[in-house]
Amino acid sequence: MNKYILRYSSDIVDSPIIATTVLETGILINILRAKVDYDEAELIITILGDDEDQKMVIESLRRKGVEVIRLGENIVNDDTRCVDCGACIALCPTNALSFNEEWKLVVDGEKCIICGACIRACPRRSLSLQDLQEI
Amino acid sequence: MNNSNINSIIFCLMNKMRKTIEHINEKIRNGEVVVVRADEMPDIFDENPERAVREVDIVTTGTFGTMCSSGIFMNFGHSDPPIKMQKVWLNDVEAYTGIAAVDAYLGAAQLSEDKGFEYGGGHVIEDLVSGREINLRAISYGTDCYPRKKLNTTITIEDLNQAMMFNPRNSYQRYNAATNSTSEVIHTYMGTLLPGMRNVNFAGSGELNPLINDPDYRTIGLGTRIFLCGAQGYVAGEGTQHSPKTGFGTISVIGNLKEMDPEFLKAAVIQNYGTSLFVGIGIPIPILDEEIARNTAIRNEDIEVDILDYGVRRRDRPIIKRVKFEELLSGRIEINGRKVKTSPLSSIKKSIEIAEKLKELILEKEFFLSKCVENLPRDTEFKEMRMIERIPRVKDIMTRNVITAKEDDSIDFVSNLLVKNQIDQIPIVNNEGKLVGIITSWDITNAIARRRKRLRDIMTRNVIVSKPDEYIDVVARRLDKYNINATPVVDDKYNVIGIISTADLIRRDIEVGKR
Ligand code: SF4
Ligand code: SF4
Repeated sequence: MNKYILRYSSDIVDSPIIATTVLETGILINILRAKVDYDEAELIITILGDDEDQKMVIESLRRKGVEVIRLGENIVNDDTRCVDCGACIALCPTNALSFNEEWKLVVDGEKCIICGACIRACPRRSLSLQDLQEI
Repeated sequence: MNNSNINSIIFCLMNKMRKTIEHINEKIRNGEVVVVRADEMPDIFDENPERAVREVDIVTTGTFGTMCSSGIFMNFGHSDPPIKMQKVWLNDVEAYTGIAAVDAYLGAAQLSEDKGFEYGGGHVIEDLVSGREINLRAISYGTDCYPRKKLNTTITIEDLNQAMMFNPRNSYQRYNAATNSTSEVIHTYMGTLLPGMRNVNFAGSGELNPLINDPDYRTIGLGTRIFLCGAQGYVAGEGTQHSPKTGFGTISVIGNLKEMDPEFLKAAVIQNYGTSLFVGIGIPIPILDEEIARNTAIRNEDIEVDILDYGVRRRDRPIIKRVKFEELLSGRIEINGRKVKTSPLSSIKKSIEIAEKLKELILEKEFFLSKCVENLPRDTEFKEMRMIERIPRVKDIMTRNVITAKEDDSIDFVSNLLVKNQIDQIPIVNNEGKLVGIITSWDITNAIARRRKRLRDIMTRNVIVSKPDEYIDVVARRLDKYNINATPVVDDKYNVIGIISTADLIRRDIEVGKR
């Protein structure tokens, strides 16, 4: 499922943007992560619906002055560097990282909310985020 | 049949029953040896102990974890004109050269001078073993026989005359696990520990751990041939901090770096702690009698691990819970009725691979057992450091008359307080005197710029605090970590009883603000 980063600035941070968008479009939005400050907000969302629905929600958000960026392939693990130590696993808030039966690390990109905790903790520097793509 | 014939037959029969390392090596040569991995042994033993002793000759173990107490001795050969190295760097990581002119020791935990935590001794060792080029730089004072004062060149492992791995402490018999009860994230040699005991990190390979399979060191000691990072290395004796009486034995090991395989030796970065080296070690345990066999039949569910609270920055950390290695491996354990996620820091996959690899090498007649010259000691004790000075605690040096303000006070009132008392921050308390926030002069400036009026809108609620009984070094670290000038001191009920600042620490000759 596509994930989007939403960014908006101080002048609209007070208005209920997500709620109005949901009401307007009738399409549900799932908030994976939210960081709201004095003067800006950054949200990571998924949109529950097909391509048309996604487009509708994005347009509605952009009309409200929200910057919308689609996230690329999420978290990737470089198998040539990883030693399957597992140091990253317990730090992941969404259980996107786990061992398979052979004690090999597997990454479930769908679940990742790009918090970065695993990237910093990996002793092999084997995890990274794919570049963000503009749409 | 004469007497001497009978004697020799009896001798042969007895030898058949009493297994020795020579016999096992003979079987390796004949292709008759039976080798099993330490994780396969428990089932084999429990099914029929006598048969297990009779039939299994060797149990192979394996572990792959970060072992900071690792490093290499190198000899660079002489340059022309020659130099007596006084200081030497490999890829900007300093090695110790207080030995002969062009000999040096590089430790895995040494940080590079330009890349800090991201590159260190462990990385140089991995780069060497992988055949990569390394920048070698040295300086000297110059002597009559070694006139050169500066050296800058590029080398690979091929150019070294000798490259010996010598690790003073590897492969602990067992490990404690780590959690963190405080409200801040901490970065330790046991990895990243989330606040409120939200994760537990553990180490070692459990039933595959070499020393745990021979806890009385009946077959392990100086001279035991081992699998060391892909090469055949040796146990050089007890490791530093060897503590057999508490079940925390260690070994020191030695091996030829030039024969090592980068698959079994990898550099590590431990977040906000330092660099290290994943070292792969496998020890073959010869099954000479039933006692040895029984010890190698240990299971993950038999291994007890204490979970310690690393939030307590003291030498003796409190035990939160005792669990089985098996539970830690399951990925979740329970602490105070809550599910907590667990992470191993050692690679179980690689540990199995090493035990398997060692098994293959033996079956392929490429690895023979050696009888150790001297077993690891069983009676040494690990002593703590002798301290001759008393380290002050927070309550000894904190300022006790703290100026505080209430949530309902106006910003004007608080800014006056700051100016009048020439202070930079004011803890905010509620009506019961409990800490609810903090205001700094920067917050005030910010508030004025933004035309905010009420304290509660601008104060920081997540206050970094200190406790009266903490050592002041712990507070210095905290101030550095959060880049702040002072922390309120609170008692167990969160009443503000003092404040401790950078100035208080500097007065005591404690370094702050330098990273
Ligand atoms: S922490 Fe890094 S090396 Fe360890 S399992 Fe995770 S990705 Fe692999
Ligand atoms: S970035 Fe965060 S959410 Fe994504 S895998 Fe890593 S720890 Fe999990």
